Amino acid sequence: MPKKINLDIAEVESREHRLGTIIAWDGKASDLHRESGYESRACGKKKDGCRLCEVKGPFTQGSVCSEQMVECQAGNVRDAVLIQHSPIGCGAGQVPYNSIYRNGLAMRHHKVENIRIINTNLIESDMVFGAAGKLKQSIDDAWERYQPKAIFIATSCATGIIGEDMESIAREKEAELKIPIIPIACEGFRSKHWSTGFDATQHGILRQLVKRNPKKQEDLVNVINLWGSDVFTPMLANLNLRVNYVVDLASVDDLEQLSEAAATVGFCYTLSSYMAAALEQHFGVPEVKAPMPYGFAGTDAWLREIAKVTHREDLVEQFIEAEHKRVAPRIAQLKQKLKGIKGYVATGSAYAHGLIQVLRELDVEVNGSLVFHHDPVYDSGDPREDSLGHLIENYGDVGSFNVSNRQQYQFYGLLKEVNPDFILIRHNGLAPLASRMGIPAAPLGDEHIAIGYDGIVNLGESILDVLAHKKFHDDIKAHTKLPYKKWWLEQKDPYLLAKHPEVINE
Amino acid sequence: MAINKDKNGQTNSINQVRYGCALGALHSVTAIPGAMPIAHCGPGCVDKQYTSLAFYNGFQGGGYAGGSVTPSDNLGENEVIFGGEKKLSELISATLKIMEADLFVVLNGCIGEIVGDDVSSVVSKFQEKNVPIVYAETGGFKGNNFIGHEIITEAIIEQYVDKYAVDKDKKIKGLINVWSELPFQNTFWRGDLLELKRVIEGAGFQVNILFGNGSKGIEEWKTIPNAQFNLVVSPWMGLSTAKYLEKKYNQPYLHIPVLPIGAGQTAEFLHQIVAFAGLDITHVDEFIKQEEKEYYYYLEHFTDFYAEYWWGLPATYAVVGDSIYNLAINKFLVNQLGLIPGKQIITDKAPEKYREAIAKEYAHLAEDVATTVEFVEDGYIVGEILRKTDFGHKPPIIFGTTWERDTAKALNGNIVEIGFPASYEVVLNKTYIGYRGALTLLENIFTAAISKSA
Repeated sequence: MPKKINLDIAEVESREHRLGTIIAWDGKASDLHRESGYESRACGKKKDGCRLCEVKGPFTQGSVCSEQMVECQAGNVRDAVLIQHSPIGCGAGQVPYNSIYRNGLAMRHHKVENIRIINTNLIESDMVFGAAGKLKQSIDDAWERYQPKAIFIATSCATGIIGEDMESIAREKEAELKIPIIPIACEGFRSKHWSTGFDATQHGILRQLVKRNPKKQEDLVNVINLWGSDVFTPMLANLNLRVNYVVDLASVDDLEQLSEAAATVGFCYTLSSYMAAALEQHFGVPEVKAPMPYGFAGTDAWLREIAKVTHREDLVEQFIEAEHKRVAPRIAQLKQKLKGIKGYVATGSAYAHGLIQVLRELDVEVNGSLVFHHDPVYDSGDPREDSLGHLIENYGDVGSFNVSNRQQYQFYGLLKEVNPDFILIRHNGLAPLASRMGIPAAPLGDEHIAIGYDGIVNLGESILDVLAHKKFHDDIKAHTKLPYKKWWLEQKDPYLLAKHPEVINE
Repeated sequence: MAINKDKNGQTNSINQVRYGCALGALHSVTAIPGAMPIAHCGPGCVDKQYTSLAFYNGFQGGGYAGGSVTPSDNLGENEVIFGGEKKLSELISATLKIMEADLFVVLNGCIGEIVGDDVSSVVSKFQEKNVPIVYAETGGFKGNNFIGHEIITEAIIEQYVDKYAVDKDKKIKGLINVWSELPFQNTFWRGDLLELKRVIEGAGFQVNILFGNGSKGIEEWKTIPNAQFNLVVSPWMGLSTAKYLEKKYNQPYLHIPVLPIGAGQTAEFLHQIVAFAGLDITHVDEFIKQEEKEYYYYLEHFTDFYAEYWWGLPATYAVVGDSIYNLAINKFLVNQLGLIPGKQIITDKAPEKYREAIAKEYAHLAEDVATTVEFVEDGYIVGEILRKTDFGHKPPIIFGTTWERDTAKALNGNIVEIGFPASYEVVLNKTYIGYRGALTLLENIFTAAISKSA
């Protein structure tokens, strides 16, 4: 049995501790899958002592931190407020997440308004004397301004190091204001991978918001997602199910009723692993354990499992059959148009597994992928969630499969080796380099674009759109100089500095 | 410890942030052609400052050394406990091996500063080997990116320019170092600095613009000591640099708080420079005449619209933004267009010691127009103040940021996004200053004003 998620501790256990997460790896997908040992790890046979090897070197470029993921989740709860207990620099995140939040609200037909994040604005003297007074003041300001239904408080590197006692302040103010005040431990330095920030937010929600005495709603399904367009409601309506989207763009009520749902699903196990497993272990809400809904095989299996868990088997087969028939002609057309096209996927971990499936469903050749991290196992430990295994088993191996935490300098060599016609990306940072190499990127800002049967069509259309951009990228390639030395650009191995750090002094 | 509220109700809280942190001034490094920052900080710091200041702010882009190019050691728990000097040293060595740049600037962030990493000693080992590298202490709790900009600028001069400049005592008559907008924070800095350089050169000077596409990079920086004087075109940022240079290289400085927008202001600006330079420059009036000919050609045609557009144009306005644009736009709206100042809010945390002088500028926007200015950094309070302001019988036009979109909607007014963050503008070389920028500003103001008509 996998280890049960511990909701009694205030701080979430980091991904590397829970799952053995790595952020650097070089090889084939099948090798990574074998070494990950999903099943034996889930059974507790693989202990910390048999970590996946990690090729980490002395050179890195700016990455991403856990606190950013807290902003993008807790900061996006519509009737809550997020307080960043930090110097002003962390507050810079309010700007990108405001724009994303506003666009997300519009996409889901909510009222568009500014994001509600407050920074406590710590200065030099606070580093010496502490800043409990400022945190209390910002909590009061949050209450006075917005009368939120809950207040989240995010830590920062600075408050983590000086040892601010946020839990007792949260408890004190919670008693005073009579709303949940939820501290979230998300110091950037604390985990090597920022996806711990997802878990930290979800940990806080599970501990302090989710109803302890739920009234079951047998037709409600939790969908753990971000800001994506509403593709789940029409899809699950065919099974007479309603959707409860969390965490982004949810209300506090939506978060409270997580425990009332009949099941929990996600679009990406990287994001949903922690919340879904904890809801099952602590609140009896079954997690739908199936491949993710990408491509025909994934979507079929996913729908069947939802139907099974929610006792709607009688509806599902008919729906699947009708959907296959509906999208088949368009997919056949797209396959014609995409013949001979080579794609590359550079996104978050589990999401990449799903996208490669869709590309292969469209007969797009995929020989390479870069993921920002790799979780050898997910929190449920259930092999039906082994997304990398599902990819390899149903759609074949990926020859160049690399883990690199958004490291552009490595991406150059990887792209050169695979030489794709386009790349799929989600997080920013890699596409600008691909552009300068003449390779267009399709940024999947709407994370739901590739989901389900329509997702196969959507992704095919998006690829045709970006292939047309090629002219722009070729032109840019001819007119820009990359910031890397000729020596580095000529290297074959993107992990050379990690494997042979001595070359630096040569 | 109790927190005091100021007269506007502002506490320590910052809702709707309007600047980055000192480390965010890594963008002042990427703004120098050929220079590259190296960040000694947590894993998210560079990305946050980039996505905020350079992406969702006009989508300016990282360019050669910004965005996810910037080397960073992404400090973890190990460095917090044992110190990060070794990791920084390794990162610098690796950077020198694989990255191509003329100058490297190491920026220390919150973690390194709190745990007490001696960045100076790490970097000095490379400096001793004549590596073009400097360091700056830019912990986020030290202040905002305006302060960071001054720290970085002075670090480059102190540790690099001073070492590599030749003939530091030689002064070239007519050569001016210009210190003005904060790169990337000011959404339009690239176009603005080019226009600033163009008009000053047009008047007969040589210009070290130092940042942006018009700069010759570190070769230009090495001639900083040779300038006849420093020109600070901003209400406050750059003054500390000018005073530092006055001491270091015996260079006088001219402080012109008003960044010029439009013909009147630009002519006055150029005459001030000529007078200060004490040179016999006759070229200036010829240049102004030529520029005004072009400027008024367009203004004359614009007159038909301004004089007889049927459907109403805004009369009052509010400006919310950094000191430099706030004052400059106020001057232009009052003197060129005859608009009525409603509410002016400066949001860049101008240091206390400069605030009185800045406020005085608003007391004489024109001979017959005076107004007041508020200093507010918390965006929530900005919104409150705007909503409570009496703008008269019709909705105002608001010059602000993306944060003001909701307020503008609530007031049924128009918005022109003129500063950080401008998340719904794509900006390349657009300028709002000088002769050419003023015309663009007019286009944008009135397009915004009438596009809602039907």
